[in-house]
Amino acid sequence: MTAKPVINRRHLLATGAGAMGAGILGLSPRQAFAQSQVSLQLSWLHSTQFAGSYIALDRGWWAEGGLEVSLLQGGPNAPVEPPVVSGTALVGISAADYTAAAVAEGAPFKIIGVAMQNNPFAITSLTENPVNVPADLGGKRIGMALANTPVLQALCTLNDVDFDAIEIVPTQYSPQPLVAGEVDCLLSWETDLPVALTIQGVDNTTMLLADHGYAVHSQTYIVTEDSLANRRDEIVALMAGEVRGWDAYREDTDAATDLTLAMFPDAGLDLETQRLQAARQVPLMFSDLTDANGFGWWSDDTVAANIETLALLDRSVTPDLWDRSILEEVHGS
Amino acid sequence: MTMVIPARRWPVRAGPYLGPILAIVVWELLARALSDAFVLAAPSAILLYLIDNAGLMGRALGVTLANAAAGFVIGNLAAIALATLAVVWPRSDAMVRGLALLVFCLPLVATGPILRVVFGPGPWPQIVLAALAVYYTTLIPLLVGLRALPTGWLDLVRSYGRGRMAALIHVRAMAALPYLVAGLQIAAPAAFLGAMVGEFTGAERGMGVLTIRAMRGMNVEMTWALASVATAVAVLGYLAIGWIARVFMTDEPPVILAAPAEGPRKGPRALLTVLTVAVVMIVIWWGGLKLLNLSPFFAKGPWDVFEALFLAPDAAATRSTLTDALQETGVFLLPGYLAGLAAGAVLAMLVVLFPAISGTAMPVAIALRSVPIITTAPLVVLILGRGALGTVVLVAIMVFFPTFVACLHGLRQAPGRVMDVMRSYAASPWQVLLRVRIPAMLPAFFAAARMNVPASVLAVTVVEWLATGNGIGSVMALSASLSDYDMLWSSVALVCVLSALGYALVGLLERRVLAAYAPEQLA
Repeated sequence: MTAKPVINRRHLLATGAGAMGAGILGLSPRQAFAQSQVSLQLSWLHSTQFAGSYIALDRGWWAEGGLEVSLLQGGPNAPVEPPVVSGTALVGISAADYTAAAVAEGAPFKIIGVAMQNNPFAITSLTENPVNVPADLGGKRIGMALANTPVLQALCTLNDVDFDAIEIVPTQYSPQPLVAGEVDCLLSWETDLPVALTIQGVDNTTMLLADHGYAVHSQTYIVTEDSLANRRDEIVALMAGEVRGWDAYREDTDAATDLTLAMFPDAGLDLETQRLQAARQVPLMFSDLTDANGFGWWSDDTVAANIETLALLDRSVTPDLWDRSILEEVHGS
Repeated sequence: MTMVIPARRWPVRAGPYLGPILAIVVWELLARALSDAFVLAAPSAILLYLIDNAGLMGRALGVTLANAAAGFVIGNLAAIALATLAVVWPRSDAMVRGLALLVFCLPLVATGPILRVVFGPGPWPQIVLAALAVYYTTLIPLLVGLRALPTGWLDLVRSYGRGRMAALIHVRAMAALPYLVAGLQIAAPAAFLGAMVGEFTGAERGMGVLTIRAMRGMNVEMTWALASVATAVAVLGYLAIGWIARVFMTDEPPVILAAPAEGPRKGPRALLTVLTVAVVMIVIWWGGLKLLNLSPFFAKGPWDVFEALFLAPDAAATRSTLTDALQETGVFLLPGYLAGLAAGAVLAMLVVLFPAISGTAMPVAIALRSVPIITTAPLVVLILGRGALGTVVLVAIMVFFPTFVACLHGLRQAPGRVMDVMRSYAASPWQVLLRVRIPAMLPAFFAAARMNVPASVLAVTVVEWLATGNGIGSVMALSASLSDYDMLWSSVALVCVLSALGYALVGLLERRVLAAYAPEQLA
């Protein structure tokens, strides 16, 4: 519970004193303290999903790099793209499929980092009636948000499963219909509904789509081409903090969870749920590729796999949607 | 005015409390029977949760309540200002009604993210959404109330050589008070719901944020604790406004005698009004985007929408997506709307006929409307299935409450002297209802029917977005997440136009009926 006062004090020092000093000297804040204010737009509510960022903020790693970062919370009615396009947020956290859709509509985005190497989508079923491989889906009723229908279609195409043999039930965002027997399985994130089921004591089995050919980078960092050209230093500093934060997160996910709960006491977070979510997130975020090259990395091969899967989702993109120059600068390679 | 006071003839003992007590017992038993289904939490479990998490819930309530209250005040002040303008300067009436309607038709799904970009982090998107949720349901009854007075009173003001302002302050404002109270009572739960849904746009804290967390985490106690607190707050708001009204309004309603109006408005003039409203709205739309300097990536102007619907290569596909979705929505919307209107009017009549049931009916009615739709939707869907019935019932619930409140006030607007006449002839309660109360209720009923057109559209789109995933509500949510802002703005424009058409249809019917029963409304 010590985290919050520290942030407040730092915030006060950075803005209050900074503004006052700048006012007296007649200088802009940046010239006086070399602290520039930027925002990072998160894709969902505060939780351990973003704990690496909280560590970077808490330990002052962004402040060291001359940044004062605000973390903007997302939500069910808070798309990430508009604040990034309009400049409210310097960097946004999106996913390759959403970014591809936005680019097709004319948004000038580049992906500059990939937090989730493996796509987090999973199919959750009750252990007594499991879905272990895509072939098990035939004749099953699946509960999901209708918005994710293309995801299921792509999985079926990748694995030669008859899509029409699956009955889709629009359960939207609740795991309850699986427990009530209304559906046989759910399509959701590995770190979301199945975690809630496990914590509530419901035995469940998950099948990660990434293990069956579904290659879509998730929790990707996006910026506009304009920012990439004109605000490079700030983006590098922001991503450097992210990399340090997430490396520290991997060292001790329980400590990262404790920090999350301390920073957001009003978010209604449950300790056990958050710890499980934090632990389950690690294999999605770190791989041999990141061990060799550092957090957020991708290779030509993973991009090629992404382009293939995105084509199944009716998204046509080219490799230059990904721009690795920021990460190369951060990792010094 | 008179509130029908049951205490005089029906001594208050256990009677009025039996209903609520019974409901809580049934609830407790049902929850225990269904405990494996993760749907319903028992009252005892909710109480335990609230005690264990008093700090968390208290802070969340404080935040949401503050935003809802700010939105309530701003929205209602705006409604009062608009209604005053329309009465003092009658030529603006059609314009005020038209623009107010179109703005009220804007779906939350679409306005939320734009408000967030415009206002940035902080409480303003929540406050604005709460204000948008209330101003219209106050404006419409108020416009009725400002006219619900005998013409003789206006003649009296004029004979003293005083003008419209004097008439407004001394006569119209007094006549409008009961209608204003009805509007404010409907607004109390709406403001809270607006503030909660506003938190979906990325607010840091509040009851809406906790609701998302509870539902995703399948935390049934937390979900129902939130719903119970929200309901309790809305019910208290409703009762407090009613109590204040009873303290200040003691006069009996006057007899309103007015000559029948000269018939429906001429066609060409009405058409001109519609055209003017449309042009002004398009100018505001276009000018607003320019003024706020929003990025054309997500802020689409009137021309962009026209292009997407008619000129773009995929215009035909866009149109067919929208028509299919609108048909799906219409199937749920119409029966829900009609059922809600009927239920509201019938229950209001029952309460007036049998005051004893009001002790049970009122709290249940207020609670039904106040439980945030975001938490009731999954329960109703579970009980009634994902087919049409679940959505229809949810729309009916949203329509039912404003109708019920408006009709109740309308029924009680029966003129005191006419009631005396009926009483002296020993008329039965049925005869009084049929010959005095129902005619007195008609203006309020039609006002409710009109303002429920956009309210039911709002309800159906929220249910489609959060629970059933089909129809136009789902198209809007999906196109926002896929950055298909041409589709989003096209569907918003289409929903607005269709709501306005529905409103106009109800208005046509209303003029026919009121020409016979309440001609003063048409003057």
